[in-house]
Amino acid sequence: MLPLYLRILLVLGALLSLAMVGQQVKKNKILIEDAVFWVVLAAVLVIMALFPGLVMSLAYYLGFMSASNFVYLVVIALLLWKVFTNSGEISRLKAKVNELAQEIALAHKDHPDRR
Amino acid sequence: MRILAIIPAYNEEACLENTVEQLTSACPEIDYLIVNDGSRDATERIIAERHFNGVNLPVNTGLTSAFRLGMKYALRNGYDAAVQFDADGQHLPEYIPIMAHTLSEHSANIVIASRYLDGSAKPTGARGVGQRLITLLIKLTTGCSIADPTGGMRMYNKEMIRLFATSFDAAPEPDMVALIARKYGGVLEIPAKMQERQGGSSYFDIINVLKYMARTCLSILMMRVLK
Repeated sequence: MLPLYLRILLVLGALLSLAMVGQQVKKNKILIEDAVFWVVLAAVLVIMALFPGLVMSLAYYLGFMSASNFVYLVVIALLLWKVFTNSGEISRLKAKVNELAQEIALAHKDHPDRR
Repeated sequence: MRILAIIPAYNEEACLENTVEQLTSACPEIDYLIVNDGSRDATERIIAERHFNGVNLPVNTGLTSAFRLGMKYALRNGYDAAVQFDADGQHLPEYIPIMAHTLSEHSANIVIASRYLDGSAKPTGARGVGQRLITLLIKLTTGCSIADPTGGMRMYNKEMIRLFATSFDAAPEPDMVALIARKYGGVLEIPAKMQERQGGSSYFDIINVLKYMARTCLSILMMRVLK
């Protein structure tokens, strides 16, 4: 079992990340629809810190050598997926920005006085 | 046959005037459109002062986007063919009528002005190696022999104008030429010569050549599997 101070640290860290996400939403730094992922992730971290037994028995049940390996694997996979979907979103944003720039250029050609 | 020469221009103040003058004097029957891709130099001023036919992108968006803008213009103004024409004076306008003739004669989709078709010039150096590799890859993945897939002077027919103007991911690059050769066919070449660039600086130093070639080869393979 985890030592008590480590558990407290984990809970505090998870709560802190949850608070930071909330703060960013409040300050209009991130859309709610995009923050959902991070809120859920932070909430899961809090739960994992409060009840480490859950993760440990799951890891043991799945046959992992240690719970930390299991947690690392899941977190890395999750983050990789997130980065990939971000990449796709940036691609689509690029395409949209270019599209808009092209349309602005064509519109100005037709109506040069609108500049 | 109405032909539009699309001239993407990014910081091309040094040679744009000469290029356009050569084009209009050699091929007065051809329309052209300069796409100023958010240049920071005098390109926009030159277009305005000389009353060239041009459009100005408000920000720099890259060659692919600038070319797509030209294709949109061609589509909306009902052109039958569009030709990629470099602003730096590398491309010789004399070939445009020959390309147009080949395009309609063989109802081709793309006609490339090919530097290596007649064997008088050989691709050399790092670019030469990459060039041959790309030609080989296109041969293997599509069965088409394209001597000069990286040649930048390409003419497109109406169907290709629509394709480029409307797709999400269509770049005027060898990988797209390979895709078109496989899916639509009708990619032809005519023998041509190119000039040294007349001003400005080339984007292609050795690192960029390697990057470009690696990216293009991978892209050809990916397109073969995915598209």
